[in-house]
Amino acid sequence: METSYLIGAIFVASIMTYLTRVTPFLFFRKKEPSQLIKFIEWNMPVMIMVILVFYALRDVQWEVYPYGLSEIIGVFIAATVHVKFKNALLGIFLATLTYMILVQMVFIV
Amino acid sequence: MSFFSIFKMTIPVLMGYIPLGMAFGLLLSGLLIPWYYAFFMSVFIFAGAGQFLALGMFATQATILEIGIATYLLNLRHTFYGLSMISALKEFSWKKHYVIFGLTDETFALLKTNEVDEKERERIYLIITALNQSYWIIGSVLGALLGNILPFNYKGIEFSLTALFVVLSIDLYNKSKQRKPFLISIVIGFIGMLALPSDKMLILSLSFAAIVLILFKRALEDGN
Repeated sequence: METSYLIGAIFVASIMTYLTRVTPFLFFRKKEPSQLIKFIEWNMPVMIMVILVFYALRDVQWEVYPYGLSEIIGVFIAATVHVKFKNALLGIFLATLTYMILVQMVFIV
Repeated sequence: MSFFSIFKMTIPVLMGYIPLGMAFGLLLSGLLIPWYYAFFMSVFIFAGAGQFLALGMFATQATILEIGIATYLLNLRHTFYGLSMISALKEFSWKKHYVIFGLTDETFALLKTNEVDEKERERIYLIITALNQSYWIIGSVLGALLGNILPFNYKGIEFSLTALFVVLSIDLYNKSKQRKPFLISIVIGFIGMLALPSDKMLILSLSFAAIVLILFKRALEDGN
């Protein structure tokens, strides 16, 4: 990967991240945000996150063996561990570990 | 409040950031990116999910513009968090910009759950943010270095990003008042995943979700 690409991307990502964090301090110091803004702020985050799940799965080849089974099992583990044990990191860790075992040792293409 | 008692407050974040930071660093080294980029990213970006997303986009050679848009959208939830911090930071000097810069999910949760004396608040918030960021930096650099040394097959480690999104979706679903936006985004995401070209899927699906949300505001608010 090119150095200029990496540095440019890091620069842009850092500006964008700071922007999302500083926005309320810049714009809503006095005025209350409108109903519509509040509605979007309440509901957009969950929609973004769900769509990001599907985005992360966009290159899975569902019609070819193993038919996305590693991904389905991984998502299932992440969700159930998180719901059962209320522990996000445990869910991420176990799901990733299982997925790595599946793609490396079980569903070898 | 002594430095040690502030440190004790941050221990839950320490426990989370070291392993997650290491996962980030390992993934970065798996993409054959030099370890010091893990350091730069954790110093200048400091966003857990945001940095994982950036790696995923490096892997698919996304353009810098796409990385910028995706990062902004992913971290948009922080704008919402910030709304409830405005009054707490009102009396701070210019140094508040470091606290704002460091308002990650975990730092926000920590600042929100610990009541501190108003006179000491600025110092405590700055130390908490700095400690949290140092854990994240240490974890990610450790992971990146480890990935260079250990001859280990990291194939599949990028799934940590998918799992992170799944877990965050559940958290946000539990926090939200309405159920319909969640269900609608599943439909949109599913169709987008199957039908849209993979390089434009994210931006098209998100735009469509935003349009549905604005157009059907009334209907979505009715009932749960």
